[in-house]
Amino acid sequence: MSAILISVIGAVILLDKYAFGEFGISQPLVTGAIIGALFGDIKTGIFLGAMLQLVFLGGLPIGRDIPPDGQLAGITGSGAFFLLRIANASGHALLIAMLLALLAAVVGGTLDIFTRHFNTKLFHMFLKRENRLATYHLLGLATAFIRGLCIFLPLFILASIIMVPTQFPRMSQDLFAIICLSLGLANAVYLFVKKSTVVYAIVGGLCGLAWVVF
Amino acid sequence: MRLGLGRFLKILFSSFFIQTSWSFSTLQGMGFLFSLVSGAKKNERSKIMDTHKGFFNTHPYMSSYIIGAVERAYDDEQSSTEEIQKFVNIAQKSFASAGDLLFWEILRPALLLIGTILALKFGVIGPLIFLAVYTAFHLYHRIQGIYDGYNMKWDVIYTIRSKRFTTTQHTFELLGAFSSGLLFSLISLEPNYLLIIPLSILFVLLLLKKVPSVVITFVMILLIITIIWVGI
Repeated sequence: MSAILISVIGAVILLDKYAFGEFGISQPLVTGAIIGALFGDIKTGIFLGAMLQLVFLGGLPIGRDIPPDGQLAGITGSGAFFLLRIANASGHALLIAMLLALLAAVVGGTLDIFTRHFNTKLFHMFLKRENRLATYHLLGLATAFIRGLCIFLPLFILASIIMVPTQFPRMSQDLFAIICLSLGLANAVYLFVKKSTVVYAIVGGLCGLAWVVF
Repeated sequence: MRLGLGRFLKILFSSFFIQTSWSFSTLQGMGFLFSLVSGAKKNERSKIMDTHKGFFNTHPYMSSYIIGAVERAYDDEQSSTEEIQKFVNIAQKSFASAGDLLFWEILRPALLLIGTILALKFGVIGPLIFLAVYTAFHLYHRIQGIYDGYNMKWDVIYTIRSKRFTTTQHTFELLGAFSSGLLFSLISLEPNYLLIIPLSILFVLLLLKKVPSVVITFVMILLIITIIWVGI
């Protein structure tokens, strides 16, 4: 799987974020599985996607607010990991991929602002030629696709050529899981645990601990 | 008066593109106009184009309720342009807050949480269950929204108080809380997993202080670098 191909696939999946449908396909949980399957290692893909999903469980796109782009981070993290792993140790690949994913999430949010400013130009063009509503409106698909490509292409090309020195620190899967689970737990508590639901959270916690022990 | 299958499908399909040209000047304005025009009768199109060229913003899945009602108003030919615009102004805000609360704040995170736990325990079944259940809910609102909007016209706004909103919201709130606790099933009984306790507390405090999510992302990057540097 080449960096260019995975960038194009990633940019197409990312259209689901808001440009077309919003069916949930672009969520890290799903994209991790898809990218894992494309690279022939669905188990690792699911693990990466699930962990990144916990990180980006919050970040709600309400009104004009543009939070870091969790969907972009999910695709970047999984794709970069598999590309990096071709020439590097797993621990190195995981560390670099996760840093790239988190940076992509922040840059993606900023690039979203540029995209939306460009869409304003599309609206003004439509006002001049009102019979072309469908054309100018659907051109938004192209801007959303190009936004994805602008981030994925350089990051995936970088991931496919990087050779990390062996003495460079590595990140174990355990450490990665600990950090992601911590933020996931915090996100979940923040979103769902209130006075009226705390009993359900405690029962869930006891069931979870019983699941681990037995 | 009935909405034909052809028009219904046109509205449904075009509503999938409601946010395609999302811009800071009109937000979903062009998407809303595109959906209205796609589902309108030919003789209504120029009037719709003249009336709905401005700002529009609501929850993407909820837009179908408003589009259905507006299509009905144009078919009836009994409502004035001012009446239609007044309805759109009120309905977009009401459906936006109802949809944001139901889908973005409760249903989607709860299903993602359940899907994540299932994925880490049983593999591919997790993402599949998330997609199946989530699709069932948002498609139901998108499809039923068009019909309810068309049949109920202005009264469609009262569906926000119906069981399809309140019961789903309540059920998934409880399910989300239960799944939050169930996250403990993902930990391992090893000493280094104790690190989850201080880290979770730190992140909860940041979230409660309403620290922007960009800052939290940078905190996470710093944490990864620090922990690896220290060599835990």
